Formats: sequence, structure tokens, C-alpha cells
Amino acid sequence: MFRTLIHTAAALALTAAPLWAEDLATPKGTVILTVSGQIAATNAEGAAQFDLEMLEAMEATTVETSTIWTEGTHRFDGVALATLVDRLGITGSTLRALAINDYAVDIPLTDAVENGPIIAYKMDGATMSVRDKGPLWIIYPYDSSAEYRSEVIYSRSIWQLDRIEAIE
Amino acid sequence: MVQLRSRTARRARLGLSVLLGTIGVVAIVLMAINVARDLRLLNSASSDNVQWTLSQAEVEFLEYELHLERALRDSPPDLTTLRREFDIFYSRVNTLRYSSLYATLRESPAFLDPLGKVQFFLDASVEAIDADDATLTQALPDLLQQARDSRGDVRMLSNAGLNFFAEDSDRRRNNVAVTLTQMAAGVTFLLLALLGLTFYLSYLNSQNIRRRAEVVQASARMKIVMQTALDAVIVSDQDGIILDYNSAAEQIFGHPASHAIGKTLGALIVPDQYLAAHEAGMERMRAGGEKRVVAKGRIKLEAKRANGEIFPVEFAIQSADTDAGEIFIAFLRDISHRVRAEKDLLEARDRALAGEKSKTDFLATMSHEIRTPLNGLLGNLSLLRETRLSARQARYIKNMETSGKLLMSHISDVLDITKYDAGKLRLRPVAMNISALIQDIVDNQSGAASANGTSLKWGWLGPASDWLRSDPDRIQHILMNVVGNAVKFTRDGSVSIEVELIRRDGGNPDLQISVRDTGIGIDAEFQAQIFDDFATGNSAYDRETGGTGLGLGIAQRFVKALGGSIEVESEKGIGSTFRIRFPVEPIAAPDARHQAKIAPDHAEARSVLLVEDNEINRVVAREMLAAAGHRVTEAPNGKLAVDLAQAQRFDLILMDISMPVMDGRSATRAIRAGQGLSAQTPIIAVTANAMAEEQQAFLSDGMNDILTKPLTREALLAVIANHGQPADPPGAKGQPSPAPVARHYIDELRDSLGVAPLQGLLDRFIAEVDQTLTDLGTSPDMAPKDIAARAHRIAGSAATMGAVDLRAGLIAVETAAKTAAKTGDKAAVQAAIAALPAIWAASRPYLRAERREAPRPRDKA
Repeated sequence: MFRTLIHTAAALALTAAPLWAEDLATPKGTVILTVSGQIAATNAEGAAQFDLEMLEAMEATTVETSTIWTEGTHRFDGVALATLVDRLGITGSTLRALAINDYAVDIPLTDAVENGPIIAYKMDGATMSVRDKGPLWIIYPYDSSAEYRSEVIYSRSIWQLDRIEAIE
Repeated sequence: MVQLRSRTARRARLGLSVLLGTIGVVAIVLMAINVARDLRLLNSASSDNVQWTLSQAEVEFLEYELHLERALRDSPPDLTTLRREFDIFYSRVNTLRYSSLYATLRESPAFLDPLGKVQFFLDASVEAIDADDATLTQALPDLLQQARDSRGDVRMLSNAGLNFFAEDSDRRRNNVAVTLTQMAAGVTFLLLALLGLTFYLSYLNSQNIRRRAEVVQASARMKIVMQTALDAVIVSDQDGIILDYNSAAEQIFGHPASHAIGKTLGALIVPDQYLAAHEAGMERMRAGGEKRVVAKGRIKLEAKRANGEIFPVEFAIQSADTDAGEIFIAFLRDISHRVRAEKDLLEARDRALAGEKSKTDFLATMSHEIRTPLNGLLGNLSLLRETRLSARQARYIKNMETSGKLLMSHISDVLDITKYDAGKLRLRPVAMNISALIQDIVDNQSGAASANGTSLKWGWLGPASDWLRSDPDRIQHILMNVVGNAVKFTRDGSVSIEVELIRRDGGNPDLQISVRDTGIGIDAEFQAQIFDDFATGNSAYDRETGGTGLGLGIAQRFVKALGGSIEVESEKGIGSTFRIRFPVEPIAAPDARHQAKIAPDHAEARSVLLVEDNEINRVVAREMLAAAGHRVTEAPNGKLAVDLAQAQRFDLILMDISMPVMDGRSATRAIRAGQGLSAQTPIIAVTANAMAEEQQAFLSDGMNDILTKPLTREALLAVIANHGQPADPPGAKGQPSPAPVARHYIDELRDSLGVAPLQGLLDRFIAEVDQTLTDLGTSPDMAPKDIAARAHRIAGSAATMGAVDLRAGLIAVETAAKTAAKTGDKAAVQAAIAALPAIWAASRPYLRAERREAPRPRDKA
């Protein structure tokens, strides 16, 4: 169902790309996320750049969960990966996520589902510094399902995220 | 008990199985939990690439140090990147400090110590990093120095973590291996247990299948047995509800099984009249009471068919306890055919018996009818012989008499067999002299024996025992046959008769008579048949001598009737021995006088009343009696005979039985009941009907003896000699009663006076009594006083002579007369006087001087 939607959206994106390009605002502050590759909506040279304000303007999703890297349960606010994929008309099958230190991991597009991973920009209501694995951290709702507590999922939970490439 | 034990064992096995199963399941679950936990640990707890993170910490530290050195070299320095590298390393160390992944690692001092030092380094550097660019640029050499100082700690931190996780990984692998090994062992054990259980269950199952098959087979067999049984088999429960009903039952009762099953016995097969009893019986059994028909063997009752027909059944009921309660199994047999057959058989038997009886009656009647004319024939022959005859005529008559007597004996044989076979042969045991009987037979046969050149002799083995109580007629018949045969079949040899009394313990002794001859002997095969009827040898002698072949058959019947046996030993050409043996009752020799046969020649004239309806027979008898010098009065029927006997006094009455107007038995009873002059005269039955029970009836009617037709001169005269004296003492022919005269008085008188004076005395006494009785009887007007005196005087004489009855009678007259003298009642006197003649008639024969060959007192007829 979701996959169908995505495919439909992708088909629409190819034809209606110019319309969306205008919709995507240009970042005013520091760019904290650059999405490139097979995307429909861009606001830079073949890429979509986001500052914190733009991300916060998008539909927010909250995940409350514990993580293996922190103590206790925390509240994470961010943009659902599915929302971002939707918004940008991302096609392809894989999202290659890269961290500030060039750590890279491939996230299959199929992970971008409702109640799935989010690109968190706040932990417990506060933005996250680089020292606190900020400014962006892909968080899966680990507590909601055992499937999200596997080594693969943990490896995809990339912190200090700053780039995403949509690849075939 | 066995059942209980096996049930307990079964329960124990079941419990054990359940326990083992539970233990197995629990063990499996526990191990599964262990495995799941270990897997989860492997899956999640060791998640994220911790080694990578640890080594990354060192890489990021080196990146930071590299950028420090580059910042010192470059102008202006790239402070933004430097700050970012610091932040990245800082973030990494934070992860190491706070992530739950490293919680166990942090407990290791080898890790915690360098971690603390690194944190200290970061805390020392962070102020300069967070300061403005000028300050930072200023602090760069110090920061580099601090970083270089901390490089070892970072390295240690990384190494400690790597070592720890290597060990941890080993430990976990071990744990998993142990758990998996345990699980494998457990699973193996469980598998084995399950395998064992499977085998056991399979064994149980096969056993159950076998048992089930056996039960099914047994049930099928039972069903076939039940269905093919010829008897109806009905199974019911305690309430009489029919549970099972076989095909024989369908045929017998007419109800189909589908209709019968579920119905009650009472409604279906019990006849209405037994319904109440049946219900009561069922109720009694339900109440645990007595079972009157169950397990009581065969019982006969009636049952009801579907069409309402009641028929006889024979049935047996057994009960059995089942899970559903007690049931009853009834086996019923329709015996209506059998009952009918039994009835038919009974009827057939009754018809056969009736036929047999009519045959016997026919033979008896025929023998009577044949004897009567034969009697006439032989009688007339006998009269004819008394007339003047030429020698030739005399020979013819002799031949005729021989043939007639032979015919008579044949008829007698047939009659004897008929009587014996009809069970009517009765013995008439009397006192008899066996020696005299055998002597008679020897005398009789000695002529024939000497004609054959054979010697005939007899004698006692052991002490002689002349007097016996037995049936002389039968014994004579037997011996005549056996001795006659011996004489007949012996030429120029010897026939010897040996008599022996064989004593036995308890009971009467046996008399054994052996007749041994040196004759032709008997074939071995023929010996077995000689006692059969119509058995005749095939020898020349036999044809020569002839015979009906009934002789030995009758002899054997008579011996059996006497309670004895007859057997033969013989050797062809050597001779034969017949051994006759039967029980007898030896008795003392009776008074010789009673047995002394009065020779007909010496018989004195008697007055005889001859009662006979058949004129020829009457004439023959009259002529025989007249020829012997007796006076004969004739009566053609019983009525006339009674009248004559009333009016006249006879010495003897010969009474035919079957007569018109009044038969002989009625006439005898009338004479005996009356007060006529011949009321006490001996009456002799003359009959062709020789049935023993009838003869007994004649005697009980009051007759004294029986003469069997045809009359022979010898028999007739013998009976007159025995009975022809007035008032022959009774008892001489086996009817004992107290003697009217006590003989020892006379014996004493004889001893003291002598025979001749005693005879004179007796004659005077007899004359005096005769005179007195005549006077008393003919002078009814005699005064009682005179009567008493007369009676008294004679009574005294009677006492002297021992005539006790006469004395008692006279005293009765005297007493009555004395009473009459006072009261005038003469009736009693007359009655007493009337009784005297009978007493005198009974007493008078005893009043003789000598015991034997004494001249008979002259009869006063």
C-alpha cells in the first residue's frame, strides 16, 4: 500500500517536479541537512538543503523510547523519514545516510514507514549539539517493536547526520 | 481382585506417563526460554558494532589531534573543523560513558580508569574549545600537548574494551554452547522418552486392536451361534425388556426381532394366565429376592405365539452381570411336537396294552370254551370204558383218551403261557411233601424209562426235608417236563434226580433239583434256545416224540414265578443236566391224618349236590360219582342249589361257576349266609377258568376247594375223599383256625385206655351228642330247665373228650336256658341251640381213637 503510494508519488514527481521546486523554500540559517540523488524537489544544485527552521516547519513526529546509547527513556522530536521521502518525492530504493565524520550507512527506502524512524532534531525538547550526537539523529522507535532492536537497525541509527543520498 | 490390581497398575502407569510428560515439557520450555534468552542476548544486547565504536573513538581522537597540529601550522587555522572534531570525539566518549552497551564494560577497572582520564582530558580541553577564536588559537599548543599526553589513555581505553568484548563474546558463545548442549541432551532424552512412549503406546494400541478384534470376533461368533441356534434365545434386562432375540425365536414366537426388541417379555410371550405370576417373579428378583427359575435347569411351561396360540415350551434361564445391570438369557425350546409325540406314544402304548389284554382274554375264553366240550368228550370216553367193550374198542378208546389228554395238556400249556405273560400267574403255596411229589413223578415216568432201557432213580443229597410250603402244581409241572424230556431223550442209559436243600444266610433256603441223564445231549447253539417258546430239536427222537416246544418255556416261566432259575449243562452225545433252583419254606410235618389220601376204593357213600348248567358235563359228573357209589342230587343253576342246600343236608356240593339265573359264587355266598342244613357243607368250585385271582375270590366267597375242568375221575374222587366228610376240619388246605377239639385229651385217653376202649367211649359220646342235638332241634317246647340240664351233662362229656368248641356252645345254651327260665326269653336259647350243629360238624371228625387208618365214624347222613 505504502509502496504503491510511493511509486505513485514518484511517477507524479517526475511530471510535476517544477511545481514542487518552487514549493521548497531556501534555507536561511545554517544548512544542517542536504538531500541529494534521486529526488523530485530541490532548492539547490540537484539537492534539497534544510536548515533547522525548515525541518521544524515540516510535519513533526514524536518518538518516546529508550536507546542503547543513552540512559533511560527520552522524547525525540523530528521529521519522520516517510514524511521527508514524501515531501521530496524521493525515488530509488536506498537512502545513504552520512554523518559529519563521514560515517555512512544505507537505509532501505522500505524503512520509511508510518510509525517508523524519524530524523530527530530535539531530544527531550532541546536541540542536540554535536557533542550530544546532534544536530540530527535517526531514531527508530526501539521500544515499540523487537524488530527495531536488532543490530542492523542499531547500525542504521546514525547520529551527527548531515547528508542523505537517494540512490538506486 | 485381579481386576482391581490391574486397574491400580494401569492408574500408576498413567500417572507416571503424565509426570514424565510434564517434566519433559517443563524441561523443554525452560531450555527454550534459555535458548531464547541467549539468542536475544546475541541479537540485541550485543547490538551495534561495539568494537567498531571503540576503535572509532581512537580514530576520532587522532582526527582531533591531526586537526590540532594542522591548526598550529595553518594561518589562519581552521577552528570550525577543529571544534567539530572535538565535539565528535566528545560525543563518542559520552556514548562510552552512558550507553547501556558499555555498562558491563564500565565495571572493569581496566576500562573505567582510562575512561576517567580521557574524560578528565576532555573536561580540561573543553573550556579552550568553547572560548572565542583568539583564545583558542592561543591555547592550541597546550591543547595539542594535552592531546598527546592522553593518547595512551585513549589507546588503553580502546584496547580494554576490545579485550573485554572478546572475552565477553567467548563467554557468551560458551553460554550458548552449554545451553544448546543442554537442550540437545534434553531434547535427545525427551526424544528417547517419546520414542519409548511411542513404542509403549504402539504396543498398547496393538494390544487394544487385538483385543478389540478378539472381542469383535467373539461377538460375531456369539451372534452366529445365537442366530443359528435351534432354540429361541432371548436376552432381557431386569425389567423384562427384550435386549436380544434370535431368528429361532422369530420362528417359534412369530414376532420379528425388530418388533420384539424393546418390548417386555410379559407382553410378548407370557400367556395371560401366567402374567401375574411372571410379573411377581420379576419384581421379586428386582428386589433381590429368590430366583425360582433362573439357573434351575430345565423348566416346562407354556408360552404364547404372535397369533395367540399357547404352546408348551421347555426353557432354561441364566443370569449375567453386565455394566448395564443384571441380564437374563433364556433358552426356549418349542416342545409342542415332543409333547404331542409323547401323547401319541402313550396312546399307542395304551392301545397295545388293551390289545394285549383282549388277546389274553380271548385266549382265556377260548381255553374255557375248548375245555368245556373236551371235558364232555373225555368224560363220556371214561364212562364208555366202564361199559362192556371188545378188546378192539377198548384200544380205540384208549387211543382217543390219549389224544384227548394230549390236546388238553396243549391247551393248558397255552393257557399257562398266556397267564404268565399277562402277569396273572399266581402261586398257591400250601404245605406239601416234595418227596412224595418226586416219587409220584418217578413212578409216573418209570414205565416209559424202562421201555427205553433206562434206569430212573432219585434221592436226597444231604438230609431230607420232605415238608415244604410251596406250590406243588407248578413244581410238578416243571419236573414232569424236565424228567419227561430226560426219559424221552435217553436210550439204554440212566436218569437220576438229586434233590438238595441249600441253606442261605437269612431268608428261606433254596431247593435245588438236578435232573441228570446220559441221553443224546443238546447242541451248544441250541442250549441257548431250549427255554424259548416253540423250541424243538431237530432230532429223530423229537419227531418221534413230538411236542409243542412249549414245555421248557413253561417250566422256565414257572421257575421264575417261584422266584428261582433253571439252567442246563449238556454235551452232545454224553448227556444233559438240568438244574432247577427256587426258594422254599421248610415246615414241620403236619398231622399225618390230614395228608392221608383216602383211596377212592375205600371211600364211603356220600350225598353230593351237583350244581352244573351244562347237561353233558352234569351227566358225566353224575355218572362218575354214581359209579363210585355216591348219592347225587342235581341242580341246573345256583338258585335251585341254594334252595336244596337250605332244605337238605349234603356232605359235599360241587358248584359250577358260570350258570344262568344265579352263578356259583352268588349261590355259595347265599348258602354260607343262610342257616340252612347245608350252610357248613364243603363247597368245591368246578371251573375251566383257572386264573389264580379268581380262584382266590372263590375261596373268599366261602368255597373250600377248586376242581379244574375237565373233570377226571381221579380228581373228582380225590376231592370227595378230602372234603366229603361232614365238616372236614378247616385248615387242612391251608386255612388254619383253632382246632375245635384239643386232641391231646384223646391222646391221653388212648394212652391210658387203649385204642379199642377209647373207640367205644367215643362212639357212645357221638351217639349221645347226636341224640341230644336232635332232641333240642326238634323239640322247641322243651322246658328251659330241661334244656339247661341236658346241655350241662353233655358239656361235661365234651370237656372230657377235649371238644372245647362244643363244650362252649353247650354252656352258652345252658346259660341262655337258665336265663330263659327266669325271664321266659326263649329266642336266645333257640339261637344258641341253632349254633350247635355247625360246631358239632366241625368237631366230630376229630373224635377218632386212632390217628391213622382208623375206621371212619359212620356218617349219619
